[in-house]
Amino acid sequence: MRGRRLGPWPFIAPALAYTALFFAIPFVVMAVVSLWTLSGTALDMTPGFGNYIRFFTTESFFKAIRNSLEVTALVTIVSVVLAYPMAWILAEKVPVRWQRMALILAILPFWTSYVVRSYAWLLVLAEKGVINSWLMGLGLLNEPVQMANTRFATVLGFAHFFVMLLTLTIYANLKQLSPNYRRAAADLGANGIQTFIHVILPLTLPGIMVGAFLTFVLAIGDYITPQILGGSNELLMPQLIMLQILRKPDFPMASALSIILMIVVSIAYLACARWLKLERA
Amino acid sequence: MKSNHREVPARRRLIAWALGSTMFGFFAWQAGPAQAAEEINALVWCDHDDPNLIEPFTRETGIKVNLKVYEGTGQALSLIEQSQPGDWDVLVVDGIDVPRVAAQGLLDPLPDDKLPLADIFPPLLMEAQTVKDGKRYAISEKFGYNSISYNKEKVDPADMQAMAILWGDKYKGRIAIYDYYLPVIGMVAMGLGKKTADLTEADLPAIRDTLLKMKGVSKLVGDVATSQNAIATGEVDILVGGGEWVTAGLAKDNPALDFVLPKEGGVLWSQAIGIFAASQKKDAALKFLQYIVSPEGQARLATSSCYWAMPVNTKATLTDEQKKILRWDDQPGYLANSQLYPAPSAELDAKMQEVWTEMLQK
Amino acid sequence: MRRASDMAAVAYALLIFGFIFLPVIVLAVFSFQGSQIPVPPFNGPSLKWYGAVLSDGRMLTAIGNSTLVALISSLVSTVLGFLAAYGFARHAVPGGGWLKGLIVAPLSVSYLIIGMGLLITFTRLGIPKSLFAVGLGHVVINLPLCFAIIYSQMGEHHANIERAARDLGASDVQVLTLITAPMLWPALFASFFLSMTFSWDEFIIAFLLTRFETTLPVEIWTLLRSGLSPKANAIGTVVFAISIVLVAVIELTVFRKRAR
Repeated sequence: MRGRRLGPWPFIAPALAYTALFFAIPFVVMAVVSLWTLSGTALDMTPGFGNYIRFFTTESFFKAIRNSLEVTALVTIVSVVLAYPMAWILAEKVPVRWQRMALILAILPFWTSYVVRSYAWLLVLAEKGVINSWLMGLGLLNEPVQMANTRFATVLGFAHFFVMLLTLTIYANLKQLSPNYRRAAADLGANGIQTFIHVILPLTLPGIMVGAFLTFVLAIGDYITPQILGGSNELLMPQLIMLQILRKPDFPMASALSIILMIVVSIAYLACARWLKLERA
Repeated sequence: MKSNHREVPARRRLIAWALGSTMFGFFAWQAGPAQAAEEINALVWCDHDDPNLIEPFTRETGIKVNLKVYEGTGQALSLIEQSQPGDWDVLVVDGIDVPRVAAQGLLDPLPDDKLPLADIFPPLLMEAQTVKDGKRYAISEKFGYNSISYNKEKVDPADMQAMAILWGDKYKGRIAIYDYYLPVIGMVAMGLGKKTADLTEADLPAIRDTLLKMKGVSKLVGDVATSQNAIATGEVDILVGGGEWVTAGLAKDNPALDFVLPKEGGVLWSQAIGIFAASQKKDAALKFLQYIVSPEGQARLATSSCYWAMPVNTKATLTDEQKKILRWDDQPGYLANSQLYPAPSAELDAKMQEVWTEMLQK
Repeated sequence: MRRASDMAAVAYALLIFGFIFLPVIVLAVFSFQGSQIPVPPFNGPSLKWYGAVLSDGRMLTAIGNSTLVALISSLVSTVLGFLAAYGFARHAVPGGGWLKGLIVAPLSVSYLIIGMGLLITFTRLGIPKSLFAVGLGHVVINLPLCFAIIYSQMGEHHANIERAARDLGASDVQVLTLITAPMLWPALFASFFLSMTFSWDEFIIAFLLTRFETTLPVEIWTLLRSGLSPKANAIGTVVFAISIVLVAVIELTVFRKRAR
């Protein structure tokens, strides 16, 4: 007997309902709550843009988004610049049968616990930490250099994770390129550098952009890394958001800040949308 | 709670109920196993989170204690806000904030005849804070000072006698600030010759300027762990807001660490313990409270892993060695030379936090 | 010339490997520290911090909790993602672009914001914090990932085989379980494994949505906040060791077989 063909809905409805219920609705709730205000300990539920106005007019608040954008941009650039040559070496210089092994090795620390990873960097960078001890032991330094509790530490902590991630994505991208492109370029008289700039780089750009966007989204929303490594010498957006509920129950402000952060990410998404289409290739 | 936000209009409540039950029904397996016979939930500072403190109590009474650690009364209130009435049984809170918490109707009066009130250091009874209309809402359990912790091998102890050293240039880049606005603002106020109890909005500009100056010469601002780490590892030599709670626990590993109350004095902090009015397990909660203020419980609490500090019970069974580390004999002098945490109104509190955030961002 | 560039490549790769492994090695070495503080000088080796971890009931419970949450939420994510991918790939869905957009939307939203939204909503509705709530949150972050991975692997050649099965009388459910799922199992497995990794390591949602019963990252965070201790090094090293063994097992069994 031929089974009756079900429509698409029984298959897609569960995922849609789930996303609506636990993603879209909480988001709407948060948007509504962001329009309330907390004055003293009393919650004023009259809708208004008080929290948003306060964000844009209070320098210490507004500075958080600027810090976040600066740090995240720096992280993204540093990570791409460090990871690309690594991915290239893995794809081109390492013998094919060792590539998989080398790749796994390059992303192995990915599997340390993420909270512990930031903490480990703290041990490396601290005043009495490993790097300072080595450099002073070797006589290269007389005074320890401050590295922990700075923006440098935050960026480094982030870059550590994203270099691994980007090495993986860029490697995958490079391996998908047909060698014919390079041969064609060589036949047309291009040297290595020309081939790279005019052929390889443009072809891997979509992969880089996807990885960079992923880095951007994950880094700009992360609380742990700046909290452990940044030493509260400056606040990034996630820290400011958490402060709203760790110091007092100011959920309206926390909601407003979350919405602002989300809008910033959306703008970044639109900026690189043409590379990010999740349509089937 | 003063706010009216628990009273939701009927229609919205219906929608909320419908959504809620859908979310609930979605996975019925959540129902979970029946709870053990006696289990209480306590909202505490990190020092209670130590098996050496909790396990003897559980062994003796069979009552399991679930602990949720917070840092700062604001966070405790935030966590209470995120819970349902009856979720919590025991609250440990800064002594100075007991009136604020009690005014919200969160605490239940305690039976005086079941507490060792006669054994408690008299200044720590803090009846102005803990008693209202003849009802005692909480009892102190531990106290200490937010003052200056320092490494005596790296700085001149004589310099630590005046608060102004904290925002002067002499130790620039070697200072950490404990990231809790109330005690540090209190210290700054005392350094400026103000009384912590009388602070008003008019005092904030001067405090703000001094905080910014202090931030300018400091290396980092950190929570309990970060600031302890910083001074323990030599990252900094001075910790603003430190005290015995930082140095006593580290004394064994790093004897160079010391603390002092400068001539302007220190900020006295105290923790009090109370029982939630909405608790369903008040008997078990009272047993735990009695254990905490008993001589044995007090000794264990005073020397718990997160931080050491003075017990309030004069009969606490501490060893002489422990008493020496805690400076048991110096307490009368210290108490005379200290002031309570600032206890700002909600409005002033919000202003103080704004100033603090501004300081963090500089 | 060629020689020089190879040397440079090797040097660069070693440098990056050094960068990537430095914190892990430091972490592991100082988990054997003898004293309280995990920075030089090293005065071990001592196993006492591993003893401290193994005798810490809460840490072990947290490992159990994390495993449970990761397993169940990944299973739910993979199943929902697979069904949706099948629905979209094999049927014309009116407004499909928008609906697909809704399903993958959480991918571009920070975990913090997803967690905050759930916290505020659950608090308003009076739903208590729990591991279950964390599981719900982890499905939100992993479902779009599973969907995207599986959807991208659903090629036309698979559709032909499914059509053949249907012509031979198989029902939709039979096709899905007996034909589609086995053909796509590498994608299903990859989705599940990746979801496991993300859920196991996720901090902020678990931090916001739990109270006493919590997951490993939150427990480690609590440990870090109570002061510097080589115990954190020990637990970190244990987790890393377990993960490496798992990755190695998966690599040697699953992917080796697939390659042949």
